Amino acid sequence: MKPLVISLLAFAGVLHAEPVPQEKPPCCREEAKPDHLLSDKSLYQLESTWTSDAGCEVKLGVLRGRPQVVGMFFTTCEYACPIIVENMKSIERALPGSLRGKVGFLLVSFDVGRDTVEALHAYRAKKTLSDEWTLLRGREDDVRELAALLGINYRKDARGQFSHSNVITVLDADGEVVFQQTGLNKDATETVAALEKLPAAPPQPSAP
Amino acid sequence: MRIPAFIPAVAVALVAAAAAASPLVPVPAGIYRPLFRGGNDAKEIPVAAFRLAIAPVTNGEFLEFVRANPHWQRSRVKRLFADENYLKHWAGDTELGPGCDAAQPVTWVSWFAAKAYAAWAGGRLPTTAEWELAAGAGFTQADGAKEPEFVRAIARWYGTPTPAVLPAAGSGRPNFHGLRDLHGLVWEWTADFNSAIVTGDARGDTGLERQLFCGAGSAGARDASDYPAFMRFGFRSSLKAAYTVHNLGFRYAKDP
Repeated sequence: MKPLVISLLAFAGVLHAEPVPQEKPPCCREEAKPDHLLSDKSLYQLESTWTSDAGCEVKLGVLRGRPQVVGMFFTTCEYACPIIVENMKSIERALPGSLRGKVGFLLVSFDVGRDTVEALHAYRAKKTLSDEWTLLRGREDDVRELAALLGINYRKDARGQFSHSNVITVLDADGEVVFQQTGLNKDATETVAALEKLPAAPPQPSAP
Repeated sequence: MRIPAFIPAVAVALVAAAAAASPLVPVPAGIYRPLFRGGNDAKEIPVAAFRLAIAPVTNGEFLEFVRANPHWQRSRVKRLFADENYLKHWAGDTELGPGCDAAQPVTWVSWFAAKAYAAWAGGRLPTTAEWELAAGAGFTQADGAKEPEFVRAIARWYGTPTPAVLPAAGSGRPNFHGLRDLHGLVWEWTADFNSAIVTGDARGDTGLERQLFCGAGSAGARDASDYPAFMRFGFRSSLKAAYTVHNLGFRYAKDP
């Protein structure tokens, strides 16, 4: 395990040193930005700054432009988070052809202490997450605020693990909560149906 | 015997309330023992020394805040940050109106609004551990549980409906630290109100649900006699950050 992590870290280091052209970190992807103003229910109004597993500093508004499936987790979680991530992956697999590549997946960590950029990067590799996924870490206050907005309760226990509600949220292209699935191992059907009901996302711009 | 001694202090506090935020008093470091715990939660949570406002924030103080920060006014606040009842007891954006006293604790405020006020006042919201530690002090000693008079007094309030007209903030009897109205006036937001986990939790802590909602629950709790703590736990776990409630206000804290 340890050598694997070390090699992943080394790999991450290489990526930082010599950017590989085709590797486009999702958080740095330019989404098509609609002209209309955000509604006052949009999470993309948040001013907080987050750091992605690629080391980019972003505001959540960078995700605007296509729906997002959002989960909160921490990388050392032994029980629930792997299931949440698996559930989100099964949503990704269940997307109809018309939605492939038009839905983003966002994971935000509770663990501001241990989930460094490197830890998130290693997690992406370990879980073989596609380029549609964004992994973010943030300040403790900002994590608490985002959790509050998503209706997720959590607390750290004596071992440094987190107890947390298990919620997968669908945000529309403008960052409004349109659907939430609570509990583990729910069928992907309902979430996919919620995504299908959303207006079609504008065509993605080709890579600049 | 002590009552006459603090009447002038109340008068001073009320006069001050109209102009400036409530003063803070130091709360020494201590140990918070959560009422409900999952299998892996710490029995004791050390709390560092901090300062806490003597009284909850008043309508008058909150009015100054919204004047200085127009985006927190009733007609301008974003729905994401406060529900449609935000400050509904006021007459207007910057007007309390006849039915609303400047000295009363402000209510109908969301967690976001409370957090923004606290930051504006140069502080922050207290954590649940800090709040509970401060509120656990009795009238005459640091551990209120050892003071039958205090235990009876707070049990009385938690068993009494909120009065239609709220008394002024800061009019309650001060506790050991000099803090007023932690019990007996309004519920208060804490920074991590959403750390109370009742359902859908990660690792089998759903026993908390049983602990909270059934009579059998008290068997799993630290101190079955601490009924008010049950109520606070249940109340916090029922809240969402944008909610506003007629008897929910806040006070702010600062680091020492």
